[in-house]
Amino acid sequence: MISKHKKLLLTVWLSIGLFCTQLYAQTTIKGVVISASDNKPVEGATVTTKGSVKGTQTNANGEFVLAGKTGDQITISSIGYSSQVIIIKNAASSLTISLAMAKNDLEDVVVVGYGTQKKVSLTSSVSQIKGADLVRRPVSNLQQALQGQAPGLTVLDRGGEPGRSAATMRIRGITTFSGNSSGNSSPLIIVDGVEQTLFTLNPEDVESISILKDASSTAIYGSRAANGVVLVTTKRGKSGKIQASYNGYYAIQQSVNSPEMMGLEDYMRYQVLAHTNQGLAIPARYTESSIQSWITATDREKYPLPNTWFQTVLKAAPQQSHNFSFSGGNDFSRTRVSFRYMDQDGIAANYGANIRELRMNNDMQLSPKLKLSTDINYRYNLSKTPFSGDVFNRFIHGTLFAYPKYADGTYGLSQQTSNPLMLAEKSGYNKIATHYLYGSGKLDYEILPDLVFSAQVSAVINYAETKAFQNAYINYDAINARTFTVANNTLTEGRDRNTELTTNYLLNYSKKLNKHELRGLLGYSELYNQGTGLSAYRERFYNNDIQSIGQGANDATKNNSGSEYKYGLRSGFTRINYSFDGKYLLEGNARYDGSSRFTGDNQFSFFPSFSGAWRISKEKFFDDLNLPISDLKVRGSWGQTGNQTVPLYSYFASLSQGSYSFGGTAAQSFSQTGLADPTITWETNDQTDLGLEAQLLDNKLSFSVDYYKKRTSGILLALPLPVVTGFTSSTQNAGIIDNKGWEFTLGFKNNQHKFQYAINGNLAINNNMVIDLKGAGPFINNSYELDPRYIVKVGLPFNAHWGYKTDGYFQNAADVASYPSIAPGTKPGDVKFVDLNKDGKITADDWAMIGNPFPKYTFGLSSDFSYKNFSLNFLLQGAAQVDTRLSGGITEIGIAEAFTHKMVANNYWTPERPNAKFPLPRKSDFRNVGTSDRLIIDGSYLRLKNVQLMYSIPASICKKIGISAARVYVSGTNLFTISKLNEWGLDPEADSGRATYYPQTSLYTYGLNINF
Amino acid sequence: MKRNIKYLGCFLAIVGTVFQSCKKNVLETIPNDRVSSEIYWKTEADARYAVNSIYANLDATNLFVLDGITEIGHTNTVFTVEYNIENGTYDASHSRIQTEWQTAYRSIFLANYVLENIDKIKTTNTALINQFKSEARVLRAYAYMKLAGLYGDVPLIKTTITTTDGLAATRSKVADVWSFINKELTEASALLPNSFSGADRGRVTKGTALALKARAALWSGDFATASAAAKSVMDLNVYNLIAEYGKLFTYANENSVEVVFDKQFLVGTNTHNAFAFMGPYSQKSSGSTFVPTKDLADLYTMKNGKAITDATSGFDPKTPYTNRDPRMRFTMYVDGDPLPSGIPFKPVPGMGGGDEIGKTQYNTTTGFSLKKYVSAEDFANHVASGLNFILMRYAEVLLTYAEAKIEQNQIDATVYDAINKVRTRSDVGLPALVTGMTQAELRAAVRRERVLELAFEGIHLFDIRRWKTAQQVMTGPVKGITYYSGTTPVTVLVPSVIKTFDASKHYLWPIPQKEKTLNPALGQNPGW
Repeated sequence: MISKHKKLLLTVWLSIGLFCTQLYAQTTIKGVVISASDNKPVEGATVTTKGSVKGTQTNANGEFVLAGKTGDQITISSIGYSSQVIIIKNAASSLTISLAMAKNDLEDVVVVGYGTQKKVSLTSSVSQIKGADLVRRPVSNLQQALQGQAPGLTVLDRGGEPGRSAATMRIRGITTFSGNSSGNSSPLIIVDGVEQTLFTLNPEDVESISILKDASSTAIYGSRAANGVVLVTTKRGKSGKIQASYNGYYAIQQSVNSPEMMGLEDYMRYQVLAHTNQGLAIPARYTESSIQSWITATDREKYPLPNTWFQTVLKAAPQQSHNFSFSGGNDFSRTRVSFRYMDQDGIAANYGANIRELRMNNDMQLSPKLKLSTDINYRYNLSKTPFSGDVFNRFIHGTLFAYPKYADGTYGLSQQTSNPLMLAEKSGYNKIATHYLYGSGKLDYEILPDLVFSAQVSAVINYAETKAFQNAYINYDAINARTFTVANNTLTEGRDRNTELTTNYLLNYSKKLNKHELRGLLGYSELYNQGTGLSAYRERFYNNDIQSIGQGANDATKNNSGSEYKYGLRSGFTRINYSFDGKYLLEGNARYDGSSRFTGDNQFSFFPSFSGAWRISKEKFFDDLNLPISDLKVRGSWGQTGNQTVPLYSYFASLSQGSYSFGGTAAQSFSQTGLADPTITWETNDQTDLGLEAQLLDNKLSFSVDYYKKRTSGILLALPLPVVTGFTSSTQNAGIIDNKGWEFTLGFKNNQHKFQYAINGNLAINNNMVIDLKGAGPFINNSYELDPRYIVKVGLPFNAHWGYKTDGYFQNAADVASYPSIAPGTKPGDVKFVDLNKDGKITADDWAMIGNPFPKYTFGLSSDFSYKNFSLNFLLQGAAQVDTRLSGGITEIGIAEAFTHKMVANNYWTPERPNAKFPLPRKSDFRNVGTSDRLIIDGSYLRLKNVQLMYSIPASICKKIGISAARVYVSGTNLFTISKLNEWGLDPEADSGRATYYPQTSLYTYGLNINF
Repeated sequence: MKRNIKYLGCFLAIVGTVFQSCKKNVLETIPNDRVSSEIYWKTEADARYAVNSIYANLDATNLFVLDGITEIGHTNTVFTVEYNIENGTYDASHSRIQTEWQTAYRSIFLANYVLENIDKIKTTNTALINQFKSEARVLRAYAYMKLAGLYGDVPLIKTTITTTDGLAATRSKVADVWSFINKELTEASALLPNSFSGADRGRVTKGTALALKARAALWSGDFATASAAAKSVMDLNVYNLIAEYGKLFTYANENSVEVVFDKQFLVGTNTHNAFAFMGPYSQKSSGSTFVPTKDLADLYTMKNGKAITDATSGFDPKTPYTNRDPRMRFTMYVDGDPLPSGIPFKPVPGMGGGDEIGKTQYNTTTGFSLKKYVSAEDFANHVASGLNFILMRYAEVLLTYAEAKIEQNQIDATVYDAINKVRTRSDVGLPALVTGMTQAELRAAVRRERVLELAFEGIHLFDIRRWKTAQQVMTGPVKGITYYSGTTPVTVLVPSVIKTFDASKHYLWPIPQKEKTLNPALGQNPGW
């Protein structure tokens, strides 16, 4: 397969070469575009010939060259300026076009599904983010860049190991259950017309991003659009002389998480109390003489402090990114080439990531009516972690009193014979190297002046090589006489290839007759995805440096496995827009999708949508009102979308092979592993949206509000089954979830003076509720008794926190005697769990909803200020009404050998402190730390996500050193946070559970941007 | 225009070529990584493979867990979830409660699936089909025995059921479950051969069915059936005790005459991790997940048959492991025993060595460590043992026979013979019981014999439940070895646990919370 795709790309290139020789001569139009306000050149303005697909963009000097002749009508438009239409009177002379600042951004062109639309004529809910706003903040990936930029798009950024995504994106809440293996609530990501991943895309290559939220904008993507759609358009070449630019930064990353351990003496005395309370003998370490020698010790190798990992293992780590781009061309051919190098060190040893990539976007005008675009993107992405996945777990669990690293290079070992620094430095590595190749060819053919046909074919090839080598090593802790041994070194290697071929055929029609404007789209699309994987395992290599799979022991321990899968999607779709006098706008969309994931009558499904808008401000009566409102639009939409992310082949019962043995002979076995459901079909998403948009005060103030109601029904759910059936779950269409909410944006800008500023805020409110589970459920989900427990239950938000309610502490013996308790031997100071069902017992039947892990409110506020050559911008971002359930050592108050939070010191129950934050200390007894409302922490936060100060080097200096423009900047990310989790020393965007993830980081960045 | 069409044609041709060669119809994908039920149930091999899958779901290392939560064992680390069962703070949401329920019903489904589909196979070899059916019924009965013993009343599922039926399943009285088990094992035993050979060794036999029938009857208190079924196993003359208790759990004695029922394993293909799970920490950082306690150690008599509490027994607390019932050191590692790696087991604090109590969290907390299944033969690859896991051996049949007869007060020579056969095995060599004991004395003797003979083989939890002795034995702090610090004896007290048993509810586990939430009709056991 791979070689076939290579052939394809080769063919496309050869074809281009062939066409180049046949280019024809034609008159050209030359010109320069300047800004009317300051006479400075306008870069990136679009210049098109009316009634043709021909077009170009201005370079950094505002210059353009366009094929054309006298009498042609050209349109010049640029974001932030009013468009101009000019009729060429004399093609030979150079033009100077002065663009006036736009009164508002309604003339902006917004990318929508399979096309573009003017913002003013939109009838649906779409947020557009410009590339410039994305790269302002140095981020390792685009998901992070989108945070706080658009209402209704919730990005939960969990930091994550370098090169591996940990961000979660949701458009208008959670619509489906995460229970099924391939389905999730993540939006569909379309880059230049093709489904791709957002995570590794180069932010510098992005021209704009559209967030399609309501069904009328997403229905054209049918069965993949239930969770909203993110459309990314990449930058393309501009005609004129070659423009080169460099954009790079150097940043220092630092951990945001820094929980502090209880002090040495406090901790030791606390342990004495915990043992005493539990009626246990005091271990030798916590006898008075031991405590004394520990406190007074100077030799910390022998008497190590408890748990110093956050302070000793984490380090500041550099991150750097360098982008070079070259862009240029003429009437016939325009190219943009960009190179990117990014390198990110981890904040702990042996973590890191590296990206190298090349993109070439090429446009060729084959004839006045025919344009060929070929894009190629190759990316190499390497991410590396220590072999042990336990490093951050060991920051908190089971590593008390281990000295990080002795002077002789060996590591101290805890009672659990562990040490996170040892695991990070010695355990080996786990590398994922991904080769990503995207190639696309697209042809636009203007059949008639109003009718354009486009065909696009693309291949996305993702090839991942994974290599995980575990070192064999022995660490002897001489002071504690403990040994940690990994007896055998092991190697697991994997090769996974996935290829997705997409073909799109589009027919676009547009016609304007007097006040009537009609636009239509007819399309056909096919997607074919196919993948294979191989993995191999061997162990006992000669030493830790011999790492080739063939060098491991050639015996029964060697192992291999593989996977193979494919799926397809075939779709037809259409869209019709009608507008009358720019006042009344109507749109209809429909898509007919067929998916290989379903069978029989369920294979195809139909997804329609309708929307309309009324620009009230265009009405005569509106003018008469004399309001300070320059533009006012109301719009409404309704539509259906679907979700097809059911595990492959769910529709038939399958048997899987297993193994057994009899009498020393291997025997095969087959057993049914999945319940069949041939009736399985699409999830359907019904969404209604009502919106209002306004421009006020001479367009200085803009405002929009949206109300939406989204109902997902027939949710594909890995339904937990009663195991008396022999199965634990099966995927079925069961359940309804509602998401309802409001989205607001408010912007104010003032460009009139030398001091210019703009402030944009957005707020989204989402209410999520499970409406129906088809009589099944509720489903309770938790992996381990002491970790977060979630419930899917009718009437509650999806995956609500589920556990005991509490009512303070038992205060005295009478109290204990008079109320049921969770376990025998309850004492004053133990948590009083509420007997909700009043049956005189504390059991699982007393559980109730105790929190919602998905934020109800999300908001962002961005601001730009500029004065002369300086500009300052910042982004505030946050969430409210979100609940986090912390678990594990960090909340377990010294019950086991875990990290014990500083906060616990002098804040636990005693008769003198009846309302202390923490209960009675008890050793080895977890009765007080099971999931209850006590351990639900308000996860609301407000964070200064980014601040950036930029200085543009004056043109005169630039000219002297021979460059056209240069800017330098400093910026800081995640600098400041207001959150209840601050006192825990944890990042508020963290997921519920044990804080054992790679920490979120803050960044301090120095950047440089040069246009040559 | 012409040129436009030409270019367009070229482009479409390229597109067409690529796609034509890659796929025919994108919507019709056929998997090649799994087998469809549509094409199964055609050949005898299909039946065999499906029956094999029930065996693969049998118990193995989870049986250590069941002993580990009685008084003879201890959950070694506080972060092993069974710790909460030991200290009585568990509830219906405990994962072990779910796991055992789930595994048993998976076995029941696999058996039901065979029984429902096997007749689709067109063959004249009815004997073989009957054998497969009987195997499935025996294995299903085995799963029901565990469920009845752990949960009491449980849903009695005899066919494959739909989700709807599963959501409405109700519990049958435990008596009905026991009678179903009895009927199934009786009928299956008639159709099974006395033994298998070659690549069929390890399949359930007539003896397996009858021995399980005896066990089930004993557990359910039907002593007449128990003794009769045990007697019928004895009369088969297929089984016997092997000479050496100490070599029961070795590769050499796999499929020996003592094995009535086992889960088979094979090095390299089908393995378990008993060594790494239960072995002492010094042995390649093995887990010591559950460790024997002083309660078990002290139960072993002296070699002369006298209890160590008997002043005339000759027990010397300074050499506590000398002249004891040899099964003690066949069952567990005690201070000074050579370990698989060659070093001695040294648990005494302050004496140096990798197994010192308290040195690491994984070191034994009692000073004892299990030896059964922790064999030197598996040291080289301690995570992948091929040693068969014995689920029923002839010694249990003998003791079941004796106990059932004693409970019926039918005390005769055969009762003494059965117990003595176990006691006087050549490498055990305890003195035979002296005849003339009262029923109560014999009851005590046979119970002690069961504890010691079958320790850590997954029987004891069920025994103390039916004897109703759990409330006496499973209380108080967990004790370990006694060692001398100078001249002072120190008995190790496990620092973190007080065993707690609430007789009002702990004799049965609760119905798993997840199952009860899905199907409230299941109800709940008393006290939960």
